[in-house]
Amino acid sequence: MNKVMTSIENLKKDIGDFYKPELHHFMVMNAVEVGDQIEVQWFFSDYAHPCDTTCFYTLVRPETEIPSIKDIVASAWVAEAELVDLMNIKVENTQKGFVLEPDFESGPLRKKK
Amino acid sequence: MNLASYRKKSPWILHYNAGGCNGCDIEILACLGPKYDIERFGMINTGNPKQSDILLVTGPVTKRSRERLVEIYAQMPEPKVVVSCGACACTGGVFRGMYNCEGGVDQYIPVDVYVCGCGTRPEQIIDGVVQALGILEQKTKAMEVSVRLQKEPLKEEGQINRRNIADQIKPALS
Amino acid sequence: MGRQYEIPIGAQHISLLEPLHFKFTTENEKIVATEANVYYVHRGIEQACCSKFKFRQVSFVVGRVCGLCSISHTTAYSQVAEKLLKIEIPLRAKYLRMLVIELDRIHSHLLCLSHVAENSGFEALFMKTMQYREFSMELLEAVCGNRIQYDFSIVGGVARDLKPQVAQSILERLKKFIPQLDELMDIYKNNWTLSLKNKGAGAITKEDAMRLNVVGPFARAAGLAIDVRNETEDLLPWKQVGFEMITETSGDVYARNMVRLRELYVSIRIIENIINGLPESALITETKAFPDGEATVRLEAPRGELFYYAKGNKTQILERLKIKAPTFSNVAAMAEAFTGNEYGSAPAIIASYDPCLSCTAR
Repeated sequence: MNKVMTSIENLKKDIGDFYKPELHHFMVMNAVEVGDQIEVQWFFSDYAHPCDTTCFYTLVRPETEIPSIKDIVASAWVAEAELVDLMNIKVENTQKGFVLEPDFESGPLRKKK
Repeated sequence: MNLASYRKKSPWILHYNAGGCNGCDIEILACLGPKYDIERFGMINTGNPKQSDILLVTGPVTKRSRERLVEIYAQMPEPKVVVSCGACACTGGVFRGMYNCEGGVDQYIPVDVYVCGCGTRPEQIIDGVVQALGILEQKTKAMEVSVRLQKEPLKEEGQINRRNIADQIKPALS
Repeated sequence: MGRQYEIPIGAQHISLLEPLHFKFTTENEKIVATEANVYYVHRGIEQACCSKFKFRQVSFVVGRVCGLCSISHTTAYSQVAEKLLKIEIPLRAKYLRMLVIELDRIHSHLLCLSHVAENSGFEALFMKTMQYREFSMELLEAVCGNRIQYDFSIVGGVARDLKPQVAQSILERLKKFIPQLDELMDIYKNNWTLSLKNKGAGAITKEDAMRLNVVGPFARAAGLAIDVRNETEDLLPWKQVGFEMITETSGDVYARNMVRLRELYVSIRIIENIINGLPESALITETKAFPDGEATVRLEAPRGELFYYAKGNKTQILERLKIKAPTFSNVAAMAEAFTGNEYGSAPAIIASYDPCLSCTAR
């Protein structure tokens, strides 16, 4: 797994330059709590070089809005909607309520302080 | 023969997965298949709650499926029997205490037969359903008595058929 | 343009094994738009794995994510935990894991095929396929001790050994199964009514499959050659035991049936190769280390690529466990592939996706 550091501003450009639908396979989006920041990760695999897994990651504050990659990767909306509910982060153009009931306290995967 | 005796010979089952792992569901499907062949008791799987007598529920009740479960139970006509299949439907099992789960089916609807095991074996499911047949017969008789004595059917049951009542039912049962 | 109607299917429906809700917008009989709600089964397993259970117990908990592919989940978790512990498992344990995964694939594919037949209105074929499927459940019980929920893989190796008489009975039953599979292949391929119902229904092109990142038999039926067994060699040696990629081109329900049936032949060959060349070694690698660092694992479950991410912090409790199930990748394509089909074929199309929502929702 090769990890590529990126930032909120360059995220769309980096993934847009990297991702080609006929070459790369978008697997999933993930988020891990690191201290008081959240590490958001995007995992891609490669059709041609099978053992390669590329992971773009960025460290953000929990209240920061993350840009959506829906217009680059068409199927990313499922992963984004899930993270919004489970990790209580903000993603551009994504509503709460896809995974959990709308009245549920969001962010069950975050550590209780 | 009247309707009650037909019901005894041919109970129809309804299956609902309230958030389980599919393991018990495929065993219920295996029961419908040729090896275990639940149809020799006259049972067939029906998709319509309004025609069914026995409700097979699997899974710990998740928050999103609980209102559907109560709705399905309310739509079934009296007399009805509920069989909870699997450890997680009986008590919550390994999922007990997870944030989106309730501990078992009996938190919301009255359960008559508990079938244990993770996952339940088809023999156990058949055993449970055959026990449910006996309970169904008792319930049918009890209903007939009430009609004969009181000249009107029971009114306490069969009235929970509104949405958003899952929250009201839980304190009433506990 | 005609008048549009909204028709819901689910959460409880006779053609669905598990709660799943689709809302179709139809024009006359044609489906023009679909809305999917797949998270009825969300239980919160990821959170419990990172707080309630110790890392050696988690392999039994993740088996309960899904009853159909529980061995894939336990194996994938065991592998990711072994990466965090930095241990190598014995060779015999690797081969036994592959054996159970392939037996599981046989039962899962046959269940899906029978479900497609039932939802297409072919009750007799459903019964026939279920009858032929029972042998795989009996073999799994003989190997692992339970019909479903095997708990066969544990962190460091496998829990039980394969007895020689069980291995012999597996070979005998597989030999008996091959003519039955030929018969099923003939029916699914050549039956006139089933073809009328299934050919052209729920079709997806290769470009769409790439654009929407589809995995598993759903993608391989459209011609997209994606199979983790073809890709990773470091954890389980799939190519040594005779793995072969199966693809079709048309991408409809019929092609998915064909992919699943032809994969059964590959699975049978893999199982025969494993049993004939099973190496002798210990079953489990013991260690007293604690998981540290982060690791990812990909594994081919019966429905497609399974992905595990884990992060440890040198304690008994994991810091984070992320499960990506195969159907999770297919949700976006599932909603799109309905467009242009008749509403009457929707149940057969749903069954042919082979959706596993308890995997998706966890």
